[in-house]
Parts: sequence; C-alpha cells; structure tokens
Amino acid sequence: MREITLSQAVNEAIAEEMRRDETVFLMGEDVAEAGTPFKVLSGLVEEFGTQRVIDTPIAEPGFVGLAVGAAMTGARPIVDLMFGDFLYLVMDQLCNQAAKQHYMSGGKLTVPMVLRTNLGATRRSAAQHSQSLQALVAHIPGLKVAMPSSAYEAKGLMKTAIRDNNPVVIFEDKLMYQDKAPVPEEEFLIPFGEANVKREGSDITFIATSSMVQVAEKAAEMLAADGISAEVIDPRTIVPLDEATLIESVKKTSRAIVIDEGHQSYGVTSEIASRLNEKAFYHLDAPVLRMGAMDVPVPFSPALEDITVPTPEGVAENARKLCAGDMIHAA
Amino acid sequence: MQRDVTMPQLGMAQDAGKIVSWLKAPGDAVAKGDALFEVETDKATMEVEAQAAGFLTGVSASEGEDVPVGAVIARISDSAEDDTPAQTAAAPAAEAPADDLPDGHSVTMPQLGMAQDTGLLVGWLKSPGDAVAATDVLFEVETDKSTMEVEAGRDGYLAATLAQAGEEVPVGGPVAVISEAAPANPVARSVAKAAAAPAAEPVPTRPQPTPEPSRTAQPAAPQPAGGRILASPKARRLALEQGLDLARLAKAGYPQPYHVRDLDTLRSLPAAASAAEVGTASRRLVAEVPEDGLPGFTAWAAGVHGLSDADAILAALAACSMPVPGPVSVERQGQTKTYALPAGRGLSDAMETDDAPALILRDLRGSRLTSVEMGGEATPALTLTPKGDGLTLTLECAPSEMDATDAIQLLSDFAGRVEQPLRHLL
Repeated sequence: MREITLSQAVNEAIAEEMRRDETVFLMGEDVAEAGTPFKVLSGLVEEFGTQRVIDTPIAEPGFVGLAVGAAMTGARPIVDLMFGDFLYLVMDQLCNQAAKQHYMSGGKLTVPMVLRTNLGATRRSAAQHSQSLQALVAHIPGLKVAMPSSAYEAKGLMKTAIRDNNPVVIFEDKLMYQDKAPVPEEEFLIPFGEANVKREGSDITFIATSSMVQVAEKAAEMLAADGISAEVIDPRTIVPLDEATLIESVKKTSRAIVIDEGHQSYGVTSEIASRLNEKAFYHLDAPVLRMGAMDVPVPFSPALEDITVPTPEGVAENARKLCAGDMIHAA
Repeated sequence: MQRDVTMPQLGMAQDAGKIVSWLKAPGDAVAKGDALFEVETDKATMEVEAQAAGFLTGVSASEGEDVPVGAVIARISDSAEDDTPAQTAAAPAAEAPADDLPDGHSVTMPQLGMAQDTGLLVGWLKSPGDAVAATDVLFEVETDKSTMEVEAGRDGYLAATLAQAGEEVPVGGPVAVISEAAPANPVARSVAKAAAAPAAEPVPTRPQPTPEPSRTAQPAAPQPAGGRILASPKARRLALEQGLDLARLAKAGYPQPYHVRDLDTLRSLPAAASAAEVGTASRRLVAEVPEDGLPGFTAWAAGVHGLSDADAILAALAACSMPVPGPVSVERQGQTKTYALPAGRGLSDAMETDDAPALILRDLRGSRLTSVEMGGEATPALTLTPKGDGLTLTLECAPSEMDATDAIQLLSDFAGRVEQPLRHLL
C-alpha cells in the first residue's frame, strides 16, 4: 500500500469531501494562499477557489461564529484553528453555541461543523502554542472529539467528521504532519467510537491517544524484550469512547496505563482510568495508571520541555513496575 | 465492674451442683478462662471458668456444699478488697417465686453454654393449666448456639408461665411453675411484668424483638497485624471465588500487596495451619470412675467371644456414647487406629476405617500422667488417665464442635460404660 504523510492524508480527505459535497467549505487563517503554516492545505484553493477556501482575518471568535451560523443554515464548514491553544478564544462559539443548538432548538437545528486544530508539545513553541486541550472540549456534551494517531486515521476520521451532523473537533498532532503511514487509495471512512487495537498483548494494556500511540508502541517494543506482552489500543475518538473494547482488553490483561498528552490532572487519562475502575474493577490486578503531560505550562527550554510529556522509556518503566506488583503512588 | 459467679446448670434435670473444690482462693487474681471451681453432678465433674478477668471475691459457698443452680456463689471484682459477700442468691431455682403465684416447683432457664447469661424463650408448647408429664416439652429456648427443648421435669400441672415468647430470661431465672394439683387460677405473665413491681393493672407486654447475640460462637477470623490485607481487586475476587484465604499469605510472612500471581504461592502453602482457628475457647469436662472396668471386659470378650482387638472395643464403647456416633480414633503410645461402628451394630462390629475421626480417644492409662489440658484441637479429644484403681476421663472440644449438652452426655455415658462395660450389653 502506498504511504503518505499525515498532512497529505488530511488534504486528501478534505479535497475528496469538497468534491463529493459542494456545501463543504474551508475557512481559517492562512488556509488559502499559505495553505496553513504546516502546508497541510496546500493546493486546495487552486482546485476549489477562494469561494470555498476562505482566508479569514486574525479573529478566531468571529470566523468560528460565522462557521456555526453557516452550519445552522445548511453549509458544512471546516474551520481551521491554527493552534489548539486558540480554543480559549472560541469557547463561547464552540461550547455555548455549536454544542447546544441542536438540543436547544428541539432538534430543529444541526451544526454540521468541523473544527480542525492541533495539539502537541516538544516543537519549541512555548507555553501558548504547545498545549493539548482535548479534555477541555471533551467535557462539553454536544461536541465530538477525534484524535487521529496516523495518516490513515487522519484521513478516515476527517471524512467521517465532515459527514457528521454534529460539531466535531479534530486534533492533529503538529509534530506528526510529516509522518508517513500506509493509506489506501480507494475511499474509506473510520467510524467514530470504534477503538483500534494496534498491537495485541496479554500482560498490560496501553490506551493511548494521538501521538501517544507511537509512544505506547515503542514502549511495547521495549517491554517485549523483557518478556512483557503489552497491548496497545487507540480509541481514535474520545467522544464517543469505545468503552467496550477498552474494558475487554483490561479484563484480559488486568493492568492498564492510559497515555494522553494533555495535562494529567482532570484530563482524558483520568476519565478513561475512572471508567476502567468503575467497570473493570474486579479484573484489575494493579491500579490503572494515568500518564499525561506534567501539570505545568509547557516550557520553552528544550531540555525542560522534553521531560514534561510521556516518553516510551517512562511508559515502559511504569509498566514493568505494574507487572511486578510494585506499588506506584500508592498509599 | 463486678461479675457474679453462679452455679451452672450442667444437666436438664439438675437442681443443684456440689462444689468439689475451689481452684482459686478469695482475693486471687483471675484471668478470663481460669478455672474457678469444680462442680460435681451425677457423673461428670466439671471445672467452671471465670467469665471475666479480676479478683475472686465474695465467696459464699464452701467446698462440699450443694448449691442451687443459678445461685451466686462468688464475684469477680475489680479489686481484691471487695469483701461484701455475694448474695447467697435467692436461688431462683430453689423456691417458687413469691407473691401471688401458685405453689409448685419452678422450672428455670437452663444454662446451655458456659458463657451464656440469658436464654431467649422461643415459644411455649403447653398452655397454663395444662396437665404435664415429666418428659413433656414445656418450651423452647434459643441461645447464640442452639435451640433446645426444655422438659417439665416432673408430673403435674403447668400452673404459671412467667415469660412470654420472644423474651430473654436470665439463666436460673424462673420460667414456669409446675404444681401438683390442678391450679385454680393458672397465671401467665411476662418477664417484663415480673421485673416491674406488681402493677395494679395488668400491662400487656409485646414480645420483644430478638436481640442481637452478644457473642458469636465462632472465634473471629485471624487478622494479620496491621489490619486490612492489601491485595488487588482481581486477586481478592479470585481468592473469594476459589475459596482461598489471603490472610494465610500474610501469616506466612509474604509481603503485601498480593496480586494474582501470589495466589499460586497461596495454593502451594501446606493445608494445615488451621489449629489456631480451631477453638481457642475450649470446653473441658472431667469425669472420674472409681474402677477401670475395661481390662476385665476386654479379657472376657477375647476369651469368650474371640474379640482380640481391645482398641476396637474401646472405640466402640466411645462411639456408642456419642450423641451422633462417628469414627473414633484410639491413640496409644504414638499409634493411632481409627474405627467406625456401623449404625445399629454391636461392639464386635467395629471396623478399622480411613475416615477422619469425629472423636479422638487418647489412652494414657499406662502413663504417669494424671491430668491433661491439651487446649483446642481440630477434633474433640477424650483422654483416659489413671487415678488409683480408677480413671480420670477428660473431654476437650471447641464449643463449635459439640454443644454443652452433647459433651456432658458423651462424657457421662462413656464414664458409665468404662466403669461397668457389661452394663452396655444390657
């Protein structure tokens, strides 16, 4: 199978959907002429023109509000939010308006909108351009949240997001745009709420999102050398969450580490760990461990920044302890 | 706090017990469980234990004295100086309750266990005014261990019932009056009313709900120092499903917390180790027979009937004495043989078996031991020790293994058979 970059995969997904459905359009800062700072959308304006690929002013609340209105009135906008950190600017448009219109209109309105943005530290972008804020939107009922972990997921999830009649926030890891993965040439979609078992194992389950799937897979490789068999599962969407697959896996392995690049406290890892504790308690032979980013603003210093996020070595070390029956953080 | 020491009721038809000897002197410090005095009834001699720690005071009955069941004969006090004599208790058993009750003989609440203060009257099987025979069951009593029927003990009429179903009656307290003549006005009242001063108007009393048993019959499960055992939820669940006790890992010194893999270790632990769980509290009953009739009997059996296995005969005599006959082991000089006596068969039919014994007969007749106190064992044990021309018979068992009545019956019957084995054949 051919291999393409995550960037190309997103580009293909949007292009295919814009060709398929003329109500789909794209807007955001630098999406047309520049093709975004990450060159993800290069070439789209040439094919679809400036009527459907729209450069906006630097005014996130304004253009996200525009997109919500367009979605309510029949269009299917894809809004590009250049950095995930800018979510704070569009909280009202996203959480008060987009997330609640369907409910508050008694089902008469839908908001088929995609908010494309990113996450991920270690790009030396400092505290205001390095955050992973998926927990912030996953908390709000009415929003779906997708977190592709490779080019394959990026394409399949983006196409599903564009066709969904609800607002979807899709987080791409800004460090993975040039990562290649096999992606079929023929059309495919990845349904929401279906986790992907990336690697089968019997001793411990790693539940990892986005780029943390790679971290988990590397940790699993390291552990295999020690005779520890780790299963790696990518939920792919955290809302909706494929609980059944996660619980099945934990029932098999009795141990789990949940890995996500958001801040660890009150985050995605906490939510998933809690559900496992509630629903698989009597199958657990060790506490479910969370591994998220340190609860600090992401440092600009490369030496410091690199130690704030989960690493394969860190995951493997914790996994060894759990499998050995050592107590971690335990009272 | 003071605790009264009373004369226990060791048999159903027993009104009084004879104090054979005091094993503690007035003023002595006693620990809970220390033997205070020995009581003799028809056949069994029994040691009565202190139910609390303290000092023995207020001793009001002397050796050789016959004391009514339920009478207070001493006290366990907080200080040795407490010299107020224990009331030579208006032995409730001895005299019919005063006031307006019909004349007659009192039926009292029996003491069915050593640590029992009260009995719950479950229900009456006779009504006031009914004619009763000595062996008629009058009422049922429940303790924390068992429910038991209490007989009238003599022929007559049920002239008064002094407690209602559902009420707690103190051990030795009056429950009924049996009169010789048909009572003119049979009385039915409750403990609550008896406790209150004779009220002008009769107050109907409702049966009280069954109170929580104050003691549990089983000793508490052993807990490791440090309390709760740390184990993963899965290990805990599997242990529960497979009937494994994580506490044994802790006792064996394996470090916590326990995980699923530790269950393999637990499974491989030697099975035994339950001795500590078997009756820490134990019953010990002692009987004496003036003459050992066994040697003559076994010689006769061997000579006349060709029964050469004396152990089989001994085991069979014991099995016949058991309330529920079961396999009996005979232990002598380190050798053990277990015999089963098929139901309804004679002494000659005892056969060796590999089944676990229900009773161990420890034959120390050839030894110089005169008294044993082995403590809790997994199986009730009856030990034979020499005493002059006769024998001392000591029965030890956990309360959970045999209730008081059964223990008394076993020892009494066996003592009779040992003294005159031929009587068994009658």
